[in-house]
Order: sequence, then C-alpha cells, then structure tokens
Amino acid sequence: MFGSAILTLLVVGAISYRAMVVSNDSERWVQHTLEVLANLQDLLSDMESIESNSRGFALTGEEWRLVSYRANMKSLEQHEAAVHSLTVDNPAQQRQMPVLNRLAAQEVQFSEMVIEIRRAKGFEAAAHVIQNGQGQHIMDEFRGVFRAMQEEELRLLALRNAAAKQRLGQTKTFLILGIFLGLLISAAAAWNVQRDSSRRAFADKALLDSEERFRGLLEAAPDAMVVVNQSGEIVLLNVQAEKQFGYRREELLGQKVKNIIPEGFAERLIADGTRTAAEAMAQQIGTGIELSGRRKDGNEFPIEIMLRPLENADGILVTAAIRDITERKQAEETLRQSEESNRLIVSNTKDYAIMMLDLGGNVVNWNEGAERIKGYRAEEIIGQHFSCFFPAEDISNGKPALQLEEAARVGRFEDEDWRIRKDGSRFFASVVITALREETGLLRGFGKITRDITERKKFEEHLVKTAEELRRSNDQLQQFGYVASHDLQEPLRMVASYTQLLATRYKGRLDSDADDFIDYAVDGCNRMQGLIQDLLAYSRSGTNEKALREISGENALKEALANLRATIGESGAIVTHDSLPSITTDEVQLVQVFQNLVGNAIKYCSAAVPLVHVSATKNGGNEWIFSVRDNGLGIEPQYFERIFIIFQRLHGRQEFNGTGIGLAICKKIVERLGGRIWVESQLAKGSTFYFALPETGEK
Amino acid sequence: MMESIGTNASPIEVLLVEDSPGDVRLTREAFKDAKVHISLHVASDGAEAMAFLGREGSYVNAPRPDLILLDLNLPKKDGREVLEEIKESASLKTIPVVILTTSASEKDILRSYRLHANCYITKPVDLAGFLKVVKSIDNFWLSVVKLPHEVRT
Repeated sequence: MFGSAILTLLVVGAISYRAMVVSNDSERWVQHTLEVLANLQDLLSDMESIESNSRGFALTGEEWRLVSYRANMKSLEQHEAAVHSLTVDNPAQQRQMPVLNRLAAQEVQFSEMVIEIRRAKGFEAAAHVIQNGQGQHIMDEFRGVFRAMQEEELRLLALRNAAAKQRLGQTKTFLILGIFLGLLISAAAAWNVQRDSSRRAFADKALLDSEERFRGLLEAAPDAMVVVNQSGEIVLLNVQAEKQFGYRREELLGQKVKNIIPEGFAERLIADGTRTAAEAMAQQIGTGIELSGRRKDGNEFPIEIMLRPLENADGILVTAAIRDITERKQAEETLRQSEESNRLIVSNTKDYAIMMLDLGGNVVNWNEGAERIKGYRAEEIIGQHFSCFFPAEDISNGKPALQLEEAARVGRFEDEDWRIRKDGSRFFASVVITALREETGLLRGFGKITRDITERKKFEEHLVKTAEELRRSNDQLQQFGYVASHDLQEPLRMVASYTQLLATRYKGRLDSDADDFIDYAVDGCNRMQGLIQDLLAYSRSGTNEKALREISGENALKEALANLRATIGESGAIVTHDSLPSITTDEVQLVQVFQNLVGNAIKYCSAAVPLVHVSATKNGGNEWIFSVRDNGLGIEPQYFERIFIIFQRLHGRQEFNGTGIGLAICKKIVERLGGRIWVESQLAKGSTFYFALPETGEK
Repeated sequence: MMESIGTNASPIEVLLVEDSPGDVRLTREAFKDAKVHISLHVASDGAEAMAFLGREGSYVNAPRPDLILLDLNLPKKDGREVLEEIKESASLKTIPVVILTTSASEKDILRSYRLHANCYITKPVDLAGFLKVVKSIDNFWLSVVKLPHEVRT
C-alpha cells in the first residue's frame, strides 16, 4: 500500500517535472526571442547614434559629440556580440550576421573619415563628403538587414508563444491530476502509516523497556558484569565492573576486554560464544573459570568468570559475570595452610591418640599417637568399630554406643576410664569425643582424642593415699595431744600429788636425805607438769577453729597483761605501748601471742627494771607489724631462727625455767593467722620480736 | 518437810564415781577435815554407780546420795552416760551432780552442762589445788546450799 503510494507519487512527480521542464523550455525560448529582438533594436540605435554624432561633429565641431560617438562605438561592439551569441542556434539569422557586421564596420569607417575630414579640412569638406550620400546608403542597407532579422525573430516568437501556451495547459492538467491522485494515495498511506507507527511505537517502547530492565539487572548484579562483542570489545558494563577494575565507565566502553582480563578470556570467548544458552545455564556460579583480572593501576587479582552468550540484533554478544575472588583465594590458602598444619600436628602427635569415627563408630583414620597408645597399626584398625578399645563389661553395658549418642546429642562427651590395648592390657584413658557436623548441622562423624593417663591415675591414687595417711597421722598427732593432756597427766598427777602429800605429812620426820629426795621428786613432777601443759597449749593452738572478727589490739594486749599481772608485779617490769590498731583476727590467739612475748621479755632479763614496749605500724601491704621490744639479754644472730622451734632453749634450767614451747606456739599461731614472726636483737642490749598479721585476717 | 543438813544428826551421803584409787584416797583425805559428817561411797565405774543408785544387787540397802561427784572418763559405763541417765530419771534428777574430772576440754564442759550437770570442776594438777577444790565442794555443796530432802522409796 505504502509502496504503491510512493510509486504513484513518483510517477506523478516525474510527469509533472517533465511537463514543467518542457514548459519552462518553451518559456525560455520566448524569452530568448524577446532578448534577441531587444538586442537588434539596441544595435540599430547604436548605428543611428554613431551616424548622427559623427554628422553633428562635422556640422558643429563640438567635441562632446565625439565623446558620445566613442561610447556608441563600444555599445555597438557589445550588442553585435550579444546578437551573434543569441542567434547561434538559428542558421538563418547567422547567415545575416556577417552582412550586419560588414555594414556596421563600413558605417564606423565612414564616420571616422568624416570626423578626420572635419578636423583636417573643416566644415565645407566634411559637408561635401556627407552630401555625396555614401553614409545614407550604408544606413539604408543596414536597416534592410535589421528588418529581415527582426521579422525572423518575430515569426519565431509567434511560434514559440503558441507552443509554450499549449505545454503549460498540459502541465497544468497533469499537475492537477497528479496532485489529486497523490493526495488520495497519501491519505490512504497516511492512514496506513498512522496505524503502523502506533504499532511500531508500542514495539519500540517494549524494546526500550526490556533494555532498561537488562541494564537494571546488570547494575543490580553483585558481580562485575561486562558485555563483550565478538571482536572482544566491551559494549556494556555495570558499576561493579567500574569499581572492580578501577576504570570509569567511559574509559572501558569500546576497550578490548584483553586490557582488563589479559589471558584466557579471548579463548573462552570463542569456546563459550558458541555454547548454547542452556549449556551456559547449566554451569553454576562457583564452577566458573578462574582467571586473573588487571586493574587500571596494573595490579592483577584473581577472578572467577561466568560467560553467557547473548543474542542480539547486532549478532552474538557475550555477557561475562566477573567475581573478585581475592578473599576466597586467601581464605582457601589460609584454610589449606591450616589444614596442612593441622594434619601435621595430628599425625605427629604421639601423646594423644587422635582418630575420626564415622557415624556408626568405625575408625576412619589413625595417628601415630593412637598407634603408640593402643598398639594397633592404621591398616589393622581402620574400618573396625571403636568398641574394641573397651573392656568386655563396658561393651556388654552398651557404653560405646551410649557415648556416641551423648556426643551427638550434646556435641561432646568426656570420659576417664579403663580401656584395652591391642595386646589386651588395660590403660586408664582420658577420652574426649566431639561430634563433627557440617555447616548445615548434619552429623558427619566423630573426632576422638584419647590420652593414656595411667601414670597420672596412679599418681593421683598415690596422692589420695598419701593425703589419707597424712590425715591419719595428723589425727594421731592430735590424739597425742589429748593423751598428753589427760592420760599422761593423770598418772603424773598421782605421782605429784602423793609426793606432795608425803612432803607435807612427813617433812622433818624422816632423815634429811629423805627430805632431799622428796624435794627432787616434787620438782621433777612440777617440771613435767609444766611441760605437758605447754605441749597441750601448743597442740591446741593449731586445732581450734579460727574465730576471726574485728578486735581491738589494745584490748588484746590489756588482757595479756592481766594474765601476766603476777609476773609483772614480781619483776617490777614497766610495760608501755603505743596505740594499737583494730585488726580482724582471732582474739584468744592474739592474746596468747602478746602474753608469751611480753612474758619472755620480762623473764629473760637481767636489768633491775625490765622495760617492755609494744607498738604497731602498717607496712606497704595490708599488714600490721606488731613489735615487742625489751631491754633484756638479747639473742645472738645464729639463734634467730632456732628459738622459734619447739623445745629449743638457749638457757639452762638453772638460769631460766622454761619448756622451749612459748615461741613455737607464737610462731604456730601467727602463721596460722596468715602472718610471719621474726626477731631482731643485740646481745646484752635487748631484743625486738616482730609479728606481721594481715589487716583483714585473710591469708 | 525441810531440814537443815548441817543440823541433821544423820551423815551426808556422797557418792564418788572415780576409777582412780589414788584420787579416791586423795578425796577421802581431803574430806577428813570436813565440817559435817560425810559418808563417802565409792563406785569405781559407771555401771557400778548406776547399780548403787538403782539399789541393785549388793547395793539393795544403799542410801540415796545427797551429792554425786562424777568423773567423766570411766571404764564400762562412761561418766557422760551416767550423768545422762541420772538427769533423765525422775527420782534421781534432783540429786546435785558435780563433775570432777581431769578433762579441761570445752566440749566436755559444754556437753556436761547440757546434760544438766550442776557444776563442772577440772581437777587441779597439784595437791594443794586439789585439796582446795575438795574443801570448796565441802564448803559450798555440803554447808552453804540447801539440798532437797527426798523421802527414800
């Protein structure tokens, strides 16, 4: 339809054009004829002007006539040439042209002669030449030729006018018809086009939409996407591609893909470009080809590429999804290294049996430690059920299965129990079974680590036994204290009581030897009683519960001094003290310590007046350091440690009475309260006993 | 009917439960100087003491004691058991019981008082102290305090 409309219009156009060309032609010929006539007319005027101006000069001698004459000469030449060229197509006219030219030349020659005669011979001679009629003759002849040519042209004009008129009519008719037809067809075509183009606009929009969608998809893709044509040029890309390769979009468009993926891509392009879409679909991400990409700055990085052909009006394009797998590669490498080192560690571990069990409990692998501990070689045990490591009674109790169930349920199972070696011997094992699960949580099997702790077990048993023995021995020691306090004291009390009774009833009634003997017996009994009582105090000082509470140090000292009232009174000692702190400790025991130390200070003194001073300072830590300073005998440095040991004495009984237990008790008490005791002393000058106690009473 | 012990012509009956003959003798010696007439009966173990108090066997005619001096560490029946039985008995529990023992243990002291011992005395280790203690008992329990006069059953 549209084609026929165009054809019709073309035909109409062609005819019209042709008509117009022809009509134009006719018109031009008419114009041409008119032009020739005008030029002929001008030529005649030039001739008449030349004749009149030359004659005028001859008659008047006025020079301005000569100026016009010269201008007429020039104009004559021009019009002659014009007529000649205008009538070149007309042979009849051309035949007249030489006659016309000769007459014009004769006229000019005659006029020049007249002007020459006028100048040279004057008016008379010139008038004579003019009156002989030669000039008139030339002009008449010229007019005759002119008329002939004019008539020819006029005839042509009449002819051409008629033809032009006829052509014009035809052209008009054609044009009207053609335009009418053209309008008709155009209307039809326009209707068609209108219908067509609305359809086409719809299709265009759909195409645009789908392209837009494609671009949207491309931009939304998490990977770099590059679309490449068959010659390897990038025609489309997304923002990830810009980022990944460090180029701006316009830098990449039209670039060869080889610039960003130097190797492998082009080859794949050939291979994958021919692949079907279905084949490409079957390939999953992660199974793509691994290549390396190159950034704008020249750095190369590992990539994974998925290719997919994309058919398009311009041919087959290839869409490439490019993923930067630097991190994955690094993770893979780290994993590989860690797996390798794990494997090395596991296989070289000798002290631990490390093995994997499958879901059923069969041994999957076996390390050197397992072989060493259990005695099986890998090839003997792999595939065997791990219950072969258990004693028979445990197998019949179903322990192996229960342990796996527990490990599967809780994730981990731990056990310390007897296990069996290949040779049947038992060893005490520490076992950890760990459930091995996939990321999905699916149970894959179990890891089992076994350690031979038989030695440790023996050691522990030995330790328990030793502790038990120690406890018993301690109990016996405690018992000894009680024995000393009661059972030992009981017979002694009898001896003492009756020797004393003997002494009171019979002193002076027997001989003097008997009195002496009784005295020694009484003295021995008294000493032994003192010893037993001190020993009892010593053994008690370690057995009572610690009664820790905050007490006043001053009160404790006061109580100790009250207990020593008799001693202090007898010796005339002066006991002074600084202010003492409150401290969290066992009051009874602290009183005992003060009492023993102050008692000693007074006892071991040679001065007339024993001087004792008690004070306390706090040290850097949380300790109070109490001191008891005396002006007594002093102690030699080599005895500084020894004096705190039970029964150790520095003086004979004749000098000072004592059992050698007092300081041992102090040491035992102070250490039990978490403190320390020591002495500083100078012989003959005095001693200072120090003891440090924690401020809070805690160890 | 209440009577003053001191003015009563009949002697004051004291039961000494003591396994050590030495202590028995010492106690006897100490009571020699007593202000009142004391009849001292001795049981050398706990079983014998309960037999005496229950008038069993050879003790059918035994008097009801006005005061009991009880040692804790005794053969056969321990002094603690004896104390417990006395204090659980409706007829015997009014008899004052003085614990006289070598034990100075806090545990024994506390336990004795919980079992309603009337007092607890640790035997002094020296003779003078012992004599003084017995004299104190004599003075306090047999002279100062009023004891209940029970009708013998």
